[in-house]
Amino acid sequence: MVVSAGGVPVGAEHGTTRPGTRRDVLRGLLAPAVVVALAPVVAASRPSPPEPRPGEEAAFDETYRGRHIQGFRTVVTDDGHAFDGEQWQVTVDGRPLHLMRRADGSWLSMVDHYRSYPTPLDAARAAVDEMGPGEQLRDMAPGPMSGERMDMGGHIHMGGDHGVHA
Amino acid sequence: MAYTRKDVSTLTSAEKRRFVKAMLEVKRRGEYDEFVRTHIEYYTSDGEDGLRTAHMAPSFLPWHRRFLLELEKALRRVDSSVTVPYWDWTRERSKTAVPWTKDLLGGNGRPSDHQVTTGPFAYAHGNWTIKEGVTDGEFLTRDLGRARDPIALPTKDELESALAEPVYDTAPWDSTVTKGFRNRLEGWGTGRGSAAWRNHNRVHRWVGGAMLGGASVNDPVFWMHHAFIDLQWYRWQRRHRGARYLPADPPGAGDEQHERIVARHQKMPPWDVTPDSLEDVSRIYRYA
Repeated sequence: MVVSAGGVPVGAEHGTTRPGTRRDVLRGLLAPAVVVALAPVVAASRPSPPEPRPGEEAAFDETYRGRHIQGFRTVVTDDGHAFDGEQWQVTVDGRPLHLMRRADGSWLSMVDHYRSYPTPLDAARAAVDEMGPGEQLRDMAPGPMSGERMDMGGHIHMGGDHGVHA
Repeated sequence: MAYTRKDVSTLTSAEKRRFVKAMLEVKRRGEYDEFVRTHIEYYTSDGEDGLRTAHMAPSFLPWHRRFLLELEKALRRVDSSVTVPYWDWTRERSKTAVPWTKDLLGGNGRPSDHQVTTGPFAYAHGNWTIKEGVTDGEFLTRDLGRARDPIALPTKDELESALAEPVYDTAPWDSTVTKGFRNRLEGWGTGRGSAAWRNHNRVHRWVGGAMLGGASVNDPVFWMHHAFIDLQWYRWQRRHRGARYLPADPPGAGDEQHERIVARHQKMPPWDVTPDSLEDVSRIYRYA
């Protein structure tokens, strides 16, 4: 998959890769048991990168409405072979912005969760549009995604198991 | 004995007071923030791997139905007379009328930072501090109608376009389907700009602030909005007699959606109840 410097994804991974490739990649990065709990927030689950890390390339770095937004695309390889998926680390003022991929290849952020945008950069700008003066992203991982079972007033346990049970 | 969920515009002063008091108590007990966390945790997008239950999936409706029932249980442990009222946004379209009144949810956020400063959920009262937010802001935020680029609430006609759909949902059972009641109601549109939001999604955008993000549950209007969405499922069933939740059977091993959605008789996390068991809840509550 080729991504332009402007962060425009060319070719949605969905439908062009075999099912499960994202998970396979994540397994290469994290222990499987951790993947189950953290997969949805992997993009946001580590400190912001001031510089691209090994395997990453800077895709955008700009000031938008007074906010510093950066996007790093992770170049993932699998046993030496190029992998055509894409992982993004996006930050606003150095704090991770959790992005999710939609089936049509577009992106939505944790800040603006009920519509999607063509590129990670568009999603990051839209998130900034919604943030108030002085307001900063909160690092939500691993707290909400910990899979920890908490007692809801003694009546129900939520969280934890995401599997389908027939 | 079934209880009744009422139109929020018909609540008496006493009913509003009791609803607010029960909400604040559920928050004080620490139970409310667990609802916020659960909603964040179960938001899996359809371009990601994994089981989708709450959004971009057929179980959008039963998942939120059960979610509301859990909140309602928590409220009724505080005050057994309380139920979740519904906000009919096809009728109540003003930014200053119900439910945005001082005796209920409070009004719009102020222009500078969208902070809600009126009503019982205003930060200054100390009873509604945001603990599970997307940002570090501790106060509830709203931007009713999106001041910088105004957007309207969904119309009656837009809602009707969902209710008119004869089929509950259809393959590939995600945010890209253009037919079927579920996504017409959930509101994942195609294209850019204003057309990107419909019905359920559009209301989240119209309220703005906390309601726009993954932690939308932080705004108590979340429940009134979802009670109205839940009412549409009931209305749709009444209109299309015999129409059921779909898919009836899980997608097969070769299907892209295999193990990514909940079929009618499969158990839906985190409660392990089936959509089938939530299609008729008339023994629990009804709508007035």
